[in-house]
Amino acid sequence: MRLQDTIKTAAKSLLRSKTRTALTMLGIIIGIGSVILLMSIGQSAQDLIIGQVQGAGSNLVFVIPGSNKGSRLAPPAAAQGIIIKTLNKNDLVALKNEASIDLVAPEVRGQARIIYGNNDQAVTFEGTMPDFFPIRNFTIAKGHAFTQSDVDSFNHVIVIGSKLADKLFSRFDPIGKTVRLKNITFTVVGVLDSKGVGPFGIDQDELVLMPVSVAQKQLVGIDYYNSLVIQANANYDIAFAQSRVVSVLRQNHHITNPDKDDFTVQTQADAIDLLGSITSVLKLFLAAIASISLLVGGIGIMNIMLVSVVERTKEIGLRKAVGATDRDVITQFLVEAAILTLFGGIIGIAFGALFTTIIYFAIVNFSTIEWTFALPLSAIALATGVSVLIGLVFGIYPARQAARKSPIEALRYE
Amino acid sequence: MIALKAVKKIYADDGSSTVALNGVSFEIHKDEFVAIMGPSGSGKSTLLHILSFMDRPTSGSYTFFDKKIEEMSDTELAYVRNQEMGFVFQSFNLLGHASVYDNVEMPLLYSEVKMVDRKKLVENAIAAVGLVDKTKIEASKLSGGQKQRVAIARALVNNPRVIFADEPTGNLDSQSGGQVMKIFEELHTAGHTIVLVTHETYTAGFANRMIHIKDGVVDSDQLIDKHPTHAGFIK
Repeated sequence: MRLQDTIKTAAKSLLRSKTRTALTMLGIIIGIGSVILLMSIGQSAQDLIIGQVQGAGSNLVFVIPGSNKGSRLAPPAAAQGIIIKTLNKNDLVALKNEASIDLVAPEVRGQARIIYGNNDQAVTFEGTMPDFFPIRNFTIAKGHAFTQSDVDSFNHVIVIGSKLADKLFSRFDPIGKTVRLKNITFTVVGVLDSKGVGPFGIDQDELVLMPVSVAQKQLVGIDYYNSLVIQANANYDIAFAQSRVVSVLRQNHHITNPDKDDFTVQTQADAIDLLGSITSVLKLFLAAIASISLLVGGIGIMNIMLVSVVERTKEIGLRKAVGATDRDVITQFLVEAAILTLFGGIIGIAFGALFTTIIYFAIVNFSTIEWTFALPLSAIALATGVSVLIGLVFGIYPARQAARKSPIEALRYE
Repeated sequence: MIALKAVKKIYADDGSSTVALNGVSFEIHKDEFVAIMGPSGSGKSTLLHILSFMDRPTSGSYTFFDKKIEEMSDTELAYVRNQEMGFVFQSFNLLGHASVYDNVEMPLLYSEVKMVDRKKLVENAIAAVGLVDKTKIEASKLSGGQKQRVAIARALVNNPRVIFADEPTGNLDSQSGGQVMKIFEELHTAGHTIVLVTHETYTAGFANRMIHIKDGVVDSDQLIDKHPTHAGFIK
C-alpha cells in the first residue's frame, strides 16, 4: 500500500470519530505543551541567572575565603557557612599592585533594619570601597558615591538602592537625609540607578552600600573581609589575572602546597559555567517532570488504539481478505497513532508557546524580574520528535494485535 | 486451473480435533460457474476459505493457476488474493461509513495499479453493477441488494480470474437475490470463473456445475442445466 493511501485511509478513519480523536490527542497536547512550557521556563531562568552574573561587571574575578578542594562544583567553605578570616587588608593592598589587575574592592556583608521616621525596612548592607562602583557597574542616579576619604575617616555615609529610596522616602529627596542602622546614624549621600535582581537573587535596588571600615568595625565587628571582587586589566588574559591573584594570595598566606589553599578564585566565566551546569540540570529536571504527562498521554493513545482495533475487527478482516498484508495493517494503525501524536504535538507546541508568552508578559508586567522570552527550537524539535516516537512506540502493540488477526475470524466477528 | 488433491482440514482445540474436510479432490476449470452446496456443518465454508487462500489445508495439495499454496508465504497469498481473486460475502462486509467509491476502491489500495488508472477501474466496476448514481453515497444508506452490488463491484474491480461468493443472496429478499445472481451470470458470461457457496438449490441453479459436500467429503459433483424458471424469476 502506498504511503499516501495509508495516510489518507488513516486520516479518514480518525475523522470518523472526531470527539474520540480530539480527546485522545488531549493527552499528548497536555504532555507536549508541558514540555515546551517547562523547557522554556527553564531556558528563561538560565538566561536570567547567567544574565545577572554577566551584568555584575566585566572581566571580574571573585575571591572567596576557603577552598573548594579542587572540585569546580563543590562550594567554597565560605559558601557553606564556615567562617574564614583569612582575607584582609594586606591581600587588598598586594592585589592592587598587580599589573594584570585594574581595580579591587573588599566586601563585608550583613543584615540590619534601616529606619527613617516611621519607616522600617530589613536590608542587606555591604561595606566596600569606591572602586566597587565601577567594578560592579553601579551608577549613581542622585547625589554621589562615598569616597576613599569617607572610608579612611569612618564617615557614616551610605548609598542606597533606588527601590529602597522609594520605600523609605517616598516622593522626598533622600539626599542628605539621616537614617539609622543598628542604632548608628548614617547620612544618605547617593541613590543608585536601578539594576534589578543581582546574582544569587539579591535585589540590588534594595542594597545599602557604606564604607568598608564602618561596616567592619562598627556594624559587624570584624577585621577581615567576606570576599574580594576584582576587575582584571582588559589588556591581560583573564586566566592570567586569575593565576596572578592565586600567586599573590598564596604568597601572602604563606601557602606552598596548592592543596592547602584557604581561598577560592573564580572568574565570571567560571561562575557562568557553574551556574550554566546547575541550570541545565534544572531544565532537564523540568523536562523529566513534563515527560511523565507525555507518558500518560502515550498510554492513552495505546488504550484508544486497542479499542479501535477491537471495534474494527471486521474491517481488518476485510482488508486482509482483499489483499492487505500484515505489514499493511501494522502500517495503517501505526500511521493513525503517528498522526494522532504528530497533530497532538503540533497543537501542544502552540499551547506551550501561548502559555510561555502569557507567563512572560505576566512576569514582565507584574514583577521586577528581568525575565526574557525563550522558546528554544531544541524544545520544539524534541517535542515533535518525541510525540511521533510516542505514537510509534505506543501504537506498535495495538497495530501488531490488528495484524495478527486471521481474516476468517475477523470477518466472523460480531 | 484450480486443483485440490486429498485436501484435509482438521481443527485442533484443547486436545480434541474436528475434521472439517476429509480428503477433498476436484478441479475447477477456467470459465466455470461452480456452486458448492451442502448442509450446515458439511465443510463447504472451510472449503471456500481454502480455495480463496484465506486458510491453509492441514494436508493435501492445492494448486491455483500453477501456484501451490503449500509453497507460498502469507504475504504471497495476500498478493494472489488481491490480484487474482474477488470476494463477495453473505453480510456484504462493506465499510458502512465510507462511500460506494471508497468501498469499491479498497482492493486497488493494496495493488500496484497506478493512481491515474484507479479512478477509471472503480467507475467501470460501479457501472457494471448499475450504481453510477450512488457513487458518492455512504454504503450504510443503501438497500441490501444495493450493498451486495457494491460488494460485487469491489470483487471485480481488480479484474480477478476467480470470484468467490459465500451465500451472496443469504441476506437478500428474493427480488434482490435474483438481481445479484443475474450479475454473477453476466460476469460468468464475460469470462470470470465463479465459485459460489450456497445452501439454496435455487441460487445454485445459476451455476453450470454443482459440487455437493457432506461430512467433509465430496458427495457428488455434476454438471447441471440452468434452472428452467430463472428467466421468469429474474424478470
